[in-house]
Amino acid sequence: MIFLKFDRRIFQNFDWTLMALVLSICAVGILNIYSAGYATSEKQIPFYLKQIQWIAIGLILMLFIFFIDYRLIVKGAYIIYGISVVLLLLVYIHGYTMRGSQRWLTLGGFVFQPSELMKLTIIIALARYFDDHKSNEPYKLKELFVPFLIVIVPFLLILKQPDLGTALILMIIFASIIFFIGINWKSFLFALAGGLAFIPIGWFFLKDYQKERLITFFNPENDPLGAGYHIIQSMIAVGSGGFFGKGFLNGSQTQLKFLPEQQTDFVFSVFAEEWGFIGGLVLIIMFMSLILWGLKIALHARDLLGTIIAFGITALISWEVFINIGMVLGLLPVVGIPLPFLSYGGSAMVSLMAAMGLLMSINVRKFILQR
Amino acid sequence: MEDRLNLLNGPETAEFRQKFKIVFALLMVIFFVLLIRLWYLQIIKGGELKQKSEINSVRFRKIKPLRGLIMDRKGQLLVDNLPSFDVVYMPGKVKDYEQLIEKLKTLYKKKSLQIVFDQHLPKVVKPYLPIKLEKNVGMEKVAVVETNAMDLPGVYIDVSPVRLYVNGEMMAPVIGYTGEISKEEMEEGNEECSYGDVLGKHGVEKALDAYIRGRNGAELVEVNVHDKEIKNLGRIEPVPGYNAVLTIDSDLQKTAWRELKGRSGAAIVLDPRDGSILAMVSSPSFDPHLFNSGISHNQWYKLQNSPLAPMSNRAISGQYPPGSTYKLIVAAAALEEGIITPDTKFSCNGFFKMGNRTFRCWKNHGHGSVSLHRAIVESCDVYFYNVGKLLGVDKIAKYAKLFGLGEASGIDLPNEKNGIVPTEQWKLARMKEPWQPGETISIAIGQGYNLVTPLQLANAYSTFANGGTVWRPRLIKRIESIDGKTHKEFAPVKNGNLTLSKNTFDILSQALWGVVNEQGGTGGAARRLNADVCGKTGTAQVISMPENEKLRRQKKISILLQDHALFVCYAPLKDPEIAIAVIVENAGHGGSVAAPIARRILDAYFEDKAKQPQIMAQSLTANQAKQ
Repeated sequence: MIFLKFDRRIFQNFDWTLMALVLSICAVGILNIYSAGYATSEKQIPFYLKQIQWIAIGLILMLFIFFIDYRLIVKGAYIIYGISVVLLLLVYIHGYTMRGSQRWLTLGGFVFQPSELMKLTIIIALARYFDDHKSNEPYKLKELFVPFLIVIVPFLLILKQPDLGTALILMIIFASIIFFIGINWKSFLFALAGGLAFIPIGWFFLKDYQKERLITFFNPENDPLGAGYHIIQSMIAVGSGGFFGKGFLNGSQTQLKFLPEQQTDFVFSVFAEEWGFIGGLVLIIMFMSLILWGLKIALHARDLLGTIIAFGITALISWEVFINIGMVLGLLPVVGIPLPFLSYGGSAMVSLMAAMGLLMSINVRKFILQR
Repeated sequence: MEDRLNLLNGPETAEFRQKFKIVFALLMVIFFVLLIRLWYLQIIKGGELKQKSEINSVRFRKIKPLRGLIMDRKGQLLVDNLPSFDVVYMPGKVKDYEQLIEKLKTLYKKKSLQIVFDQHLPKVVKPYLPIKLEKNVGMEKVAVVETNAMDLPGVYIDVSPVRLYVNGEMMAPVIGYTGEISKEEMEEGNEECSYGDVLGKHGVEKALDAYIRGRNGAELVEVNVHDKEIKNLGRIEPVPGYNAVLTIDSDLQKTAWRELKGRSGAAIVLDPRDGSILAMVSSPSFDPHLFNSGISHNQWYKLQNSPLAPMSNRAISGQYPPGSTYKLIVAAAALEEGIITPDTKFSCNGFFKMGNRTFRCWKNHGHGSVSLHRAIVESCDVYFYNVGKLLGVDKIAKYAKLFGLGEASGIDLPNEKNGIVPTEQWKLARMKEPWQPGETISIAIGQGYNLVTPLQLANAYSTFANGGTVWRPRLIKRIESIDGKTHKEFAPVKNGNLTLSKNTFDILSQALWGVVNEQGGTGGAARRLNADVCGKTGTAQVISMPENEKLRRQKKISILLQDHALFVCYAPLKDPEIAIAVIVENAGHGGSVAAPIARRILDAYFEDKAKQPQIMAQSLTANQAKQ
């Protein structure tokens, strides 16, 4: 009954640092989405209000998960994984299509993106697997086959939507966790070779617009199409912010809607235009603090399970932050990866909050669980 | 549980500490890369990019592709493309929109031109997406805008292709028209669709849109303050759409249109051998070019709400009572079910009593005692009242469905209607009332709840003509690439089989032949020497209440309530190669109004056919001469 024992220490050791970091990043996000949608005259609920609503729902879920022992959640890891895969299958069969991608399910008026949930599910499922199959030796290729299966099924389903960004994130999380728990050198080289061989094969499965984006990134000089336009406008927005920025609601690129996807994937360029280098620096430091705090939780977790989950969640946030900002700054190709807590989107926000709840749960239980 | 925890905090922690150090180092590297990049963009390049943002001078221009051409079966062009000059402006460059319109008006006035602009501005404008002020303007206006470019910042002339419908109104309801993508279409469309794209909105243009649309090209250009291009940063050529070849024969189409023009109605010409549509006319029609110059709200409203429905393709969307043309189906049902033999006779005194209701024959004094053959030839209603009473509505419905009635034929066009073949169950479900025996009597002569589309009617007779194969009517022959190579062939598709005994086919086709060729037949107007035309007339009552009978006779009834004239036929009797259905709304008797139209279509067909061997022979001899 260790799982459900409500302990006074849960409250005493509540992770206020994590809470404060998450809330302040979310606050930046709300301000920013408010600005991004400021000059739009469309008659619908503004995005920033919806985002506040998602944050509120997310916070409730976060606290709920915080109270539950994470080991209880991991007991149901494969069930959660199964549900997530079924949801992805439903998307495939009966999904809602927007701008050419079939990524959403409609549930009583809400649209829900199961692939966002999958990012978290995959971490829990892998943690469960490696916890069940502990080894003091580095893992060999043969032992990694099942975890590979766990990842490849949702990977292919998401790639089919098509959503290259999210699919890649799943693979990157997988690679990060494997690197972390240790892989045999030979196996590593073998997997690397396999991965590289996949690239030319995968090329055939990419949609034309995805290929264009990649070609564009590698040949920025002759890029007259969409992706080139996006990158150029995004870099103009960021650069024109200068040291102090143009000020809240004053970003000309943003307010004149030169920026593509400015509420979602390119939300950082809105921020950098209006708040300048100083703002960008502060935001990146906030993310860095969150990431390092996540690593600390992973390092001090009471068991391997906690370590892997905390590390996986931290890796997810780090990669999303780096890939998204790198893309906005023209360092990486344009793939659709949102900026955690800043990009508009309910499914992403709620699953991120759930992930934060897990981190808190892991952190607090190091004080409670006995050796 | 205990074991696991113990194991955990053993040797692995040390290894993990090592890993954490690597991770930390990596994080720091990425952190600094991002900061350096941010510094580079915002501080080092900041000034330059800031200037760029102020005069944001990069324009992303979409280049529209050429839509595919549409041709008839002989390769004659039905739809071509023309360049259209549009006056457009960049919202980001125009400070005061009202002022711009005023300025343009005064400039136009000097040349005594008028601005044609009554479109509503879209609610959300993006500064870098051009908005059209006027579409498809003449050269004078182009000159005005070009010469005054300095006074009109942000305004320029955009050239894009528009559709040229070679035969104008003649095929408009069938071929349809194109227009800019609507908001709803954007939402259900794919990644490639974007604001301003041109899509097929109706008819063939819509049905084949995916093939003929082509793919947008694009270019990125740097422009100066006056939006003049200074530097082209790159270009991707648009991909033109595939060409479409229809089964239509435009000569037949022309004849049918000419004959029907000025009246409301539809005419269909089918090839019974494979269901190819040789002509499809719906009248009245509309000018498809209206949509090129941006149809005004007013015009659109008029087109949409006209009681004559010029936009609708009556051949597939118009539903009419089949009238006496339905007698073929009722007769086939009665013969097959053994209700009557060819020799069964009923006596017609000009009316038929059922309970306290009286049903009249179209011939006031009656036909006397008639057999099946004469009943069809002279279209005796009382005979079929008797047959219908014996058959019952559900048996009639069973055969009507075999003839392909009561459900959409599946032709490759949007908005096809199903028609109605009533049954007892249908009425119970639809009206929540049981079937009345008296209603069967009306059904037997194609009145009452019965509804067919002209296409269904033509196809039913075409099916009978070819000996029972229900072809899916097809309008698209093939899709070709620009160089004329076949991209996709649309083969004939079978919808089903009409299984009747040979005897039934023989008896009824003789009767249909008699309708046109025998003394006293109602379809004599369609007779043609040596063509052995078989057909059936029909006069469909728009209102079937007996008290209107007198008014009708006195022609005191409003034109919209007058009878529809129908005629369906095929020819020749042996190995038929053409089937025609003609419906003229509110025009009176099928035999006197619709049959002559069919006759002229038959003339055109057979005369053209007579020329073919000569042409073939000529080209043969020409070839031989070359060799």
